[in-house]
Amino acid sequence: MDQINLKEIKAISYEKAEIKKGYTDHSLRINLDESDIIINPITEKIKDKFIGGKGYDLWMMWNAVSGDTKWNDPENAICISSGPLGGTPGYPGGGKSIVTSISPLTGIPIDSNVGGYFGPYKKFSGFDVIQIDGKAKQDCIIFIDGIENKIQIFEASNLPQDSYELSNVLTHHFDEKKPVNVSVVSAGPGAEHTYFGCLNFSWWDAGRKRVRYKQAGRGGIGTVFADKKVKAVVARFGAVSMKTNNPADLDALKLVTKAHAKEINELDPKQNRMALVGTTHLIPIMNDHECLPVHNFKFGSHPESFLIGEEAYEHIFDKGFDGCWRGCAVACAHGVKDFSPFTGPYRGQKVFVDGPEYETVAGCGSSLGIFDPQTILEINFYCDAYGMDTISVGTSIAFVMECFENNQITLEHTDGMDLSFGNRFNTLELIHQMARGKGFGVIVGKGIRNMKEIFAKDFGADMAFMQDIGMESKGLEFSEYITKESLAQQGGYGLALKGPQHDEAWLIFLDMVHNFMPSFEDKAEALHWFPMFRTWFGLCGLCKLPWNDIVPEDNKDNAEPAKVVKHVGWYADFFSAVTGKKTDADGLIAMSEAVYNFQRVFNLKMGYGTREHDTIPYRAMGPVTEEEYESRQELYDGQLKDKYSLDISGMDTKAKTAALRQKREEQYELLTDAVYERRGWTNNGIPTVATVKRLGIDFPEVLEVLKKSGVE
Amino acid sequence: MIKVDEKVVQWTKNLTIAQLLKTLDDVKFCSVVRLNGKLISSPKFKTTKIPDNSKIQLLPLVAGG
Ligand code: SF4
Repeated sequence: MDQINLKEIKAISYEKAEIKKGYTDHSLRINLDESDIIINPITEKIKDKFIGGKGYDLWMMWNAVSGDTKWNDPENAICISSGPLGGTPGYPGGGKSIVTSISPLTGIPIDSNVGGYFGPYKKFSGFDVIQIDGKAKQDCIIFIDGIENKIQIFEASNLPQDSYELSNVLTHHFDEKKPVNVSVVSAGPGAEHTYFGCLNFSWWDAGRKRVRYKQAGRGGIGTVFADKKVKAVVARFGAVSMKTNNPADLDALKLVTKAHAKEINELDPKQNRMALVGTTHLIPIMNDHECLPVHNFKFGSHPESFLIGEEAYEHIFDKGFDGCWRGCAVACAHGVKDFSPFTGPYRGQKVFVDGPEYETVAGCGSSLGIFDPQTILEINFYCDAYGMDTISVGTSIAFVMECFENNQITLEHTDGMDLSFGNRFNTLELIHQMARGKGFGVIVGKGIRNMKEIFAKDFGADMAFMQDIGMESKGLEFSEYITKESLAQQGGYGLALKGPQHDEAWLIFLDMVHNFMPSFEDKAEALHWFPMFRTWFGLCGLCKLPWNDIVPEDNKDNAEPAKVVKHVGWYADFFSAVTGKKTDADGLIAMSEAVYNFQRVFNLKMGYGTREHDTIPYRAMGPVTEEEYESRQELYDGQLKDKYSLDISGMDTKAKTAALRQKREEQYELLTDAVYERRGWTNNGIPTVATVKRLGIDFPEVLEVLKKSGVE
Repeated sequence: MIKVDEKVVQWTKNLTIAQLLKTLDDVKFCSVVRLNGKLISSPKFKTTKIPDNSKIQLLPLVAGG
């Protein structure tokens, strides 16, 4: 391709803030309306309350938007931060970025936790958090150069269209000699034309000498990015060591880093073998436990699932170190080299595919009735290159396929495409259409909540049926686990702040397999502790996988094995060593609780955040159709008889399906009551004044939002 | 003979994973094992027979996503 064209429209040189104990104590704001570059200090008060990472993002966002702000208003901001512990080389999972914005799908703050080097490079360049707001008039690129201490905004033209090539071109453009110094954040054409655009965060793979990337996938932050006409944000920084973060106690940091990395190196080969298979080991496990989404979450297993699990991908993944942060011992970010797509603009070329992970295999494979690992690779490749979230893409197309098979939509609506389950060619065609902004793909790219409206209004589809089978909550598509037999995980999805993503709580096995939380109170306790602890990773700039995907050998002897208490202790030591603020396990939870409740109030500020928005489709609770009931009749009949003491002798499948539904919906409401109470919220799901006071987030503007909702 | 997490255990004909686990301590949270490299989950423990000379690894609590 011809030379890219970058015309500088604004530049500043700055004095880089010294990093102290993991913090620069400065933020960077780029306002695209005026091409302004603004550096501000961050106060101690904000640091104490919001910690960093997602906490900083949310605070900046809160101040940027009003309750009326829509995703495509100029004041909507994209915030990217790392957190005080982010950028610690060698600490497993020690280099994540957390990205937030008001989501095009949900209208409330969305957050995404992503690998790649951008977050640490940006921090080491002098900024704990960056905020991008306004809208550029022309396509632009923002460059944060932590080596030359310079920030530039360029008007950009003649750029590659997709993220795959753009990341590569910009990496070499901004540091030809040392590409490892560069990390690029970019979207793609899919982000321009759908509501579930993702952001790709790059890093240089020194072993393979190529650019790799990970995705901030959820909620359409890439769509906001594209709407602002930002083509890329680039950070450049030089050598990184443990000292770069200037930790309070370097020796203590080395000690805890070594302990955690050593344990992973020793135990991962004996446990999930993530360094070899990533998260694809979950495919056979979920399948065997009836938790793998098949045909839009209708079924939980499929006899061909073995074709797309770890047994297949272990042999397909390219061998080599795959840490998406420097020295991460888990090294689970695998990829496939020399893949040759059979459709689309890269047809017949050799490309490198970053992935797939479990979510992509399940969402774009089994849930669509596709059991071909090569097709899943191609879907994965194009979703990333086009900048689209594989989870929303997969879950949305699965919904379309079920609607198609049930004649809710027909060939007339799909431009003649047969969208029955398993149709891999038309799945790929839909994805290309989404990226081009053409054809039926335009409608699918609006996400399930919008599709339901369009299908009902324009195509005469049955809204009640679509409400039952459309796997979205709060407007966000479900991630890829069947929750019918785990009430706790139904809450894990429905009561999650941003929508049904499993990063708040993953309780399926504890609840369904081990019956570890039999009462509502037990479940509510789990739906307090786990979301709080998982939130903490986002505050500090860390990946959660090293916490509980590899566990100490004696973990099973602990009274609460699911918490992996030894690792929680290590994280407290990690925090203490970097920041110099001594903390313990309870301290970590307290940090998160303040930010978690602040985010809930933020939802309220945006017009959501109450009980009516915490609902889930019935497909997530139980069998919608008679076919679905009959696929596990023995189980459901048993529950009606034994658990609910019903005489089902005279009942047909329809009546039994309805009876089960009534019971399960009641259970979900009782769970919701218990969780709200445990979290210190009203029965309508709003944090009480006593709760926000206890957590020290009783700022006047927070109390004002509560007051408007009748909570005083 | 079979090996369970490096420990040698007596093998018997038609031994299933469920029967094996009954003879072991501390397996309350074991819902997945690796039998000769292949993942087997608890719903299949009763029906999966262990061949002689097998290697079995007991996997810890599944943490999910
Ligand atoms: S555990 Fe995997 S996803 Fe997490 S930082 Fe390490 S390589 Fe990246």
